Amino acid sequence: MNARLHSSRGNPSEERLLAYAAGNLSPPEAVVVAAHLALRPANDAWVRQLQTVGGEFLDEAAPASMADDALMRAMARIETDAGEVKSQPPLNDMPELPEPLRRYALGPWRWIGPGMRVRDVHAPRDGDCRVILLEIGPGRETPRHTHGGVELTCVLSGAYATETERFDVGDLEEADPEVLHQPRVVSDEPCLCVVALDGQIELDGWLGRLIQPFVRL
Amino acid sequence: MSLDAVQPDPFVHDRLIEAVALHRDREAFAELFSYFAPRLKAWLIKSGATPGAAEDFAQDAMLTVWRKADLFDARKARAATWIFTIARNRRLDMLRRDARPLPVPEIELAEQTVERPDDIVALSQDAARVRDALSQLKPDQVEVLRLAFFMDSPHSEIARQLDLPLGTVKSRIRNAMIKLRLILEPSEEAAR
Repeated sequence: MNARLHSSRGNPSEERLLAYAAGNLSPPEAVVVAAHLALRPANDAWVRQLQTVGGEFLDEAAPASMADDALMRAMARIETDAGEVKSQPPLNDMPELPEPLRRYALGPWRWIGPGMRVRDVHAPRDGDCRVILLEIGPGRETPRHTHGGVELTCVLSGAYATETERFDVGDLEEADPEVLHQPRVVSDEPCLCVVALDGQIELDGWLGRLIQPFVRL
Repeated sequence: MSLDAVQPDPFVHDRLIEAVALHRDREAFAELFSYFAPRLKAWLIKSGATPGAAEDFAQDAMLTVWRKADLFDARKARAATWIFTIARNRRLDMLRRDARPLPVPEIELAEQTVERPDDIVALSQDAARVRDALSQLKPDQVEVLRLAFFMDSPHSEIARQLDLPLGTVKSRIRNAMIKLRLILEPSEEAAR
């Protein structure tokens, strides 16, 4: 793998990986990127290298002066610390999901159109931005739509294609809000994606106008 | 230990975390606190927090270090990287409007990766290699990378702070990342 190959479609931008490593992505975006990294070990290794860069920066940072009683306060806290109550949430009902998604509770599947359904992933939201699972049947097209805000999509199974590109398992698509989008599933099996969605998808076309009143994604 | 005592021990912090993990060693914790808390505070101030909030953040992050010391594995990450990751996750928590915590902290996810013995050697060399790679970047590239790590809304903030056009900041970060990748990537290949 080299730097040129990396910038090909299906990969997050360097800026996005850097923001993820630094903890600067919004939580819903971070969930989708975590799913992508679980499916792309090379990118996962790169993010770990970037976190090592972060560690180096922390190590060489000019220290700020702490309050006079800071150490005393810290020592008192560890003396009285009862430890963190750590009960992991149970695994959800989709063993086919990559590890980072397994412990989020999932909402019920909701029908949103022929061969199309969604369910909420109860991961942390960021204002209107949230995480959903979207499943679309073979050969189906989603209604043409534009996006209300930044949208990140990671393919978990199957594959879809837009007008210009194809996205396979593990691929990450960073949607451009300017672009009218009409992905079509090109795999024999349904295509399952995890999506960070900001605001409502604005549906376009006759089907969109037909179902928009009923559909809240 | 050799007699060559002038060399600072590069693993001193790793050993201190292990002492906390194994013996709940309070002196070791105090040493870690004295080194890392002021650096964590400096980071948060740079990212725009008030000194008071930054102080609390450093306190809380170090308490997490105390609690999670037994999850530290020196073969997988050096002390500074591990503490950076703890603080990063904590910061991500703070950015959340909604108080629901991430159920699986990423530092623990990282533990699940199966590693071959040769990977472990490669990882223990990571910090040294990263330091070496950073030394090959131009100073202005290191500067934007550092700011990108430590600021909340990297690009526009960095542009303001350095008094540079936004486009210049973006391309400088991108070039720094490409250069880092070119230097660091060969061993990424070897680690697979």
